[in-house]
Amino acid sequence: MGHKYSLHAVYFCTGCGIIEIPPALTARWDAERFGIIPAAAPRQANLFLITGYVSLKTLKPIIRTYEQMGEPKFTVAFGSCPINGGMYWDSYNTVKHLDRYLPIDGWIAGCMPRPEAIFTAITHLWGMIDRGEADGYRRYRRYYRQYRANQERVLGRLDWPPLRGED
Amino acid sequence: MRIAAIVFSPLLALAGGLFFLGLARKVAARVGWRCGPPLVQPVIDIIRLLNQSSVSHGGLFSLGIVFALAGAAAVVLFLPLGGPPPFRESGGLLAILYLMLLAPLGIALSGGAAANPNSSIGVSRSLILTLAYELPFLLILLAVMTRYGTISLVKIVESQAGGGWAIFSLPLLLSGIAYLLILPAILGFRPFEIANAPQEIASGALVEYGGRFLALATIQQALNLFIGPALFVNLFLGGAGNPLFFFAKMLAVFTGVLLVNAAYPRLRLEQAVGYLWRWPTLIALAGLAAVMWW
Repeated sequence: MGHKYSLHAVYFCTGCGIIEIPPALTARWDAERFGIIPAAAPRQANLFLITGYVSLKTLKPIIRTYEQMGEPKFTVAFGSCPINGGMYWDSYNTVKHLDRYLPIDGWIAGCMPRPEAIFTAITHLWGMIDRGEADGYRRYRRYYRQYRANQERVLGRLDWPPLRGED
Repeated sequence: MRIAAIVFSPLLALAGGLFFLGLARKVAARVGWRCGPPLVQPVIDIIRLLNQSSVSHGGLFSLGIVFALAGAAAVVLFLPLGGPPPFRESGGLLAILYLMLLAPLGIALSGGAAANPNSSIGVSRSLILTLAYELPFLLILLAVMTRYGTISLVKIVESQAGGGWAIFSLPLLLSGIAYLLILPAILGFRPFEIANAPQEIASGALVEYGGRFLALATIQQALNLFIGPALFVNLFLGGAGNPLFFFAKMLAVFTGVLLVNAAYPRLRLEQAVGYLWRWPTLIALAGLAAVMWW
């Protein structure tokens, strides 16, 4: 119960989709009713909204931010670009299938999704957390070798040590 | 009996402080035409944080937040909460004055041990703000201690039961006004929210706190929110005979702080220090002078 009603989203503005988050947080579509507030640092957060397209340059900080968050943590891909490349499907610089590099618990389609879609997704995520299906962080640990191989294929040699099997 | 009071008093303060924390978010939301989270949201947050894994930066990092929490809990043991406190004959206001500094110093200790420049900036801002409000705070406490001739909070509350609330007597009215002016700084609310500015320095000293540590920091903040208004009610509003009436008085004071918090932006550090060392200090100094010469 604590995890679903206290989703603090790390306020890392990954792409153009972040423009749709402040309307969801402010007075008209109040996200704080759901317990969602932006967290200033990844260590304090348990929800990562990957908003908009992920370029190769942004993928590195996204992975580092994701690994800094404490478990259990939930990732939601926001917009069409993390799903299948979206508007940038033929670009050399963007990531087309984010699920290969980072575990995603759910996707919100749209370019951009409306705030009502965000809240539908949050209630859907609550249901997944209740049923125990929101286990992206456990998949990341279990298949870390494969995720790391995918990451290194696009980013080259990564200069941080691999995750150890603790926690 | 005494043991029960020692255990029960900080728990009561924690319950009140968590309610105040939830009330703060709710009032800020309602004033901004939003709905806001439920009043029990801080409890849900703490439950979630206690169930989340966290990373420590070493012994000093873990110890600092425990110091801060211990300092806040210790202050509560000296405060009358509508009845005599567990430690009524040991130190009173002087003990409270010292122990209230443990909270920012503890956070400074662990913030220094966190290997993050945001943390260092946040710690320096927090300590400078503490320095800024400690000056008028000391003048206010000196005025009250001089007026009643005692450092014991229990005796101050009892004198007000006989002779009327302190805030209605003219010299202490100035000290009371000065206390209300610095109360947002003591509690860390706008316009003196500079120490924990989320948008500027990634929440300052709390940037490296995850999981358990953030839960302890939230509990410490809840206790802090309880101590500030409780001291005001005891010093200037005559305490109360029972905890419920005491809490009602605290609620009245705290609602004023929350409405100011909802309306004002954040002052920069030099603006905050300049303000705190100017008007509240002058008013508190005038109050002290009036008490000494009347």
